[in-house]
Amino acid sequence: MLRRHPWIIPASFLVLPLLVYFTFVIVPTLNSLYYSFTNWVGYGSDFDFVGFANFEKIFTDRLFSNAIKNTAIWLALAMTAPTLLGLALALALQGKRTINTLYKSLFYLPICLSPIIIGIIWVWLYSPKLGIVNIFLRGVGLDQLATAWLANPNTALFAVFVAWAWQQTGLNMVIFLAGLTSVPTPLVEAAKVDGANYWQTLFKVIIPMLRPATVVVLALTAISALKSFEIIWVMTMGGPFNKSDTLAVFMYSESFRKFKMGYGSSAAVVLFVLTLVIIVLYFRFAAAAEELYD
Amino acid sequence: MTRRQPPIPQPFPPQRREEEIFPRTNWQSLLGKAVLYFLLTILLILFMVPVYGAIVTAFKSQAEVAAGGYWTPPSSLATENFARVMDPEDGNLGLYLQNSLLLTIPASILSIALGTLAGYALGKYRFRFDGFLFIFLVAGMFLPPQIALIPVFRLMNDIGLYDTLYAVIIIHTAFGIPICTLVMRNFFQVVPNALREAALIDGANEYSIFFRIMLPLTLPALAVLATLQFTWIWNDFLWPFILTQKADSRTIMVGILNLTGQYTVDWGGQAAASLIGSLPTLFIFVFFQRYFITGLTLGAVKG
Repeated sequence: MLRRHPWIIPASFLVLPLLVYFTFVIVPTLNSLYYSFTNWVGYGSDFDFVGFANFEKIFTDRLFSNAIKNTAIWLALAMTAPTLLGLALALALQGKRTINTLYKSLFYLPICLSPIIIGIIWVWLYSPKLGIVNIFLRGVGLDQLATAWLANPNTALFAVFVAWAWQQTGLNMVIFLAGLTSVPTPLVEAAKVDGANYWQTLFKVIIPMLRPATVVVLALTAISALKSFEIIWVMTMGGPFNKSDTLAVFMYSESFRKFKMGYGSSAAVVLFVLTLVIIVLYFRFAAAAEELYD
Repeated sequence: MTRRQPPIPQPFPPQRREEEIFPRTNWQSLLGKAVLYFLLTILLILFMVPVYGAIVTAFKSQAEVAAGGYWTPPSSLATENFARVMDPEDGNLGLYLQNSLLLTIPASILSIALGTLAGYALGKYRFRFDGFLFIFLVAGMFLPPQIALIPVFRLMNDIGLYDTLYAVIIIHTAFGIPICTLVMRNFFQVVPNALREAALIDGANEYSIFFRIMLPLTLPALAVLATLQFTWIWNDFLWPFILTQKADSRTIMVGILNLTGQYTVDWGGQAAASLIGSLPTLFIFVFFQRYFITGLTLGAVKG
């Protein structure tokens, strides 16, 4: 057991990190809440407190409701496709066979790339005439499916999502693989002795044991999906016709392109509140998952 | 109190051999295995198409690209694209690489140093509000950067650091504190107290214990954080995009995106720039993968 220490020693270790964190993370966060109640335009210090005007305006803004809709689609896709694919890959590649190690490395290679670079490369893949996606579709006789993926309002958001998922899948696989190492081997063997087949063992034993990893994957995916900005910015800038304009993109364009900083802050606050909801849910589920196995 | 915390993965779980846990049933039969690896290989090929495209395009001459074959292997290894993007009169990536190093290295070191201090205090001492302070410091990991964007932009303008690398260094240091604190606190928690107590009995003071005994032990945790912070800060775009403007303070990712505006149809130049910009993180990926992956499973939030 540790004794109670005079507080001065831990405080001396904490003072510097706390000061930096407070000044550059906490104060700006609180300031953002403040700006969301003003009509600041990005320069000078002339601005008025406008109460809830920004929020009243934002909830009737057609572009905002469009961004919310796109964010909801983005979030729904993000929580499903890369999660399932990441889980399938982790299950298939678990273990330390040489070929598995090699495949795993290649599947998580995209994690170390910047979203900017991923965006640039995927823009070529989707290029209407020269991109490999359309070349492939034409090659197999599906000419009618070939389209200008990023300029077509019906496909832009989904096309950007695929590029994002390309990176996210590897990350999810890594977390599921870490989760799999904590599934006790005797449990799986016991199921086998009891006569369970592969699929029964998978769905009745292994996947339920992966519940903590799944909660982590879903929470992290949701948080990173909400704040993802770079890859959308590089590939479509939110277009065409704002069809790939998510909340993060909307917040940036209102603040730094139209210089409506007060208004942009209220969009940031909405984004922040959504993240907060996910964090609260995460802590709830995480605590529940922990109790389950205590 | 610890029971209420979410299951944040421990930094160094008891080393377990990664063994196969699946029962040997039909999948393990030869046919099943063949089908599984066939499907995996197809998927892997699809996954590698973007990487393949970037590599072949980067090494192709402009003449060859213009002649059509974007997705075919280059007939000879051309380095003209690399020369063009590195040329100070043209792509000027040399300067941006230098700026990114001048940003990434100090910001990584500072965030890890501050996280180590906080992690040590929270992992090795009990005091009032320690639980609250831990949650408070780590919560920042979940904040979307957007919430701080505008106030930080204004703050940096007010203190005269706007459009300097210092602004970006400060912000990455501050936003790196949560993950570094989390990893270091979890690490210090598992360092035996006997070590500290023995040194105290020998008359060492608290600070020499930290510097002489504890710090040398943290090397593996520092390696994990170094790979993670370096990759994250190197690849970041949003903060330097908001906080810098002129070429002298432009980082590599902002520089590469600017180039794509300049080289709209020059895929060779874009590909070469992308490869150059990815080299440092690919290096980490190849040589320090173990540390990087450990870090990811801890602090995947940053991904």
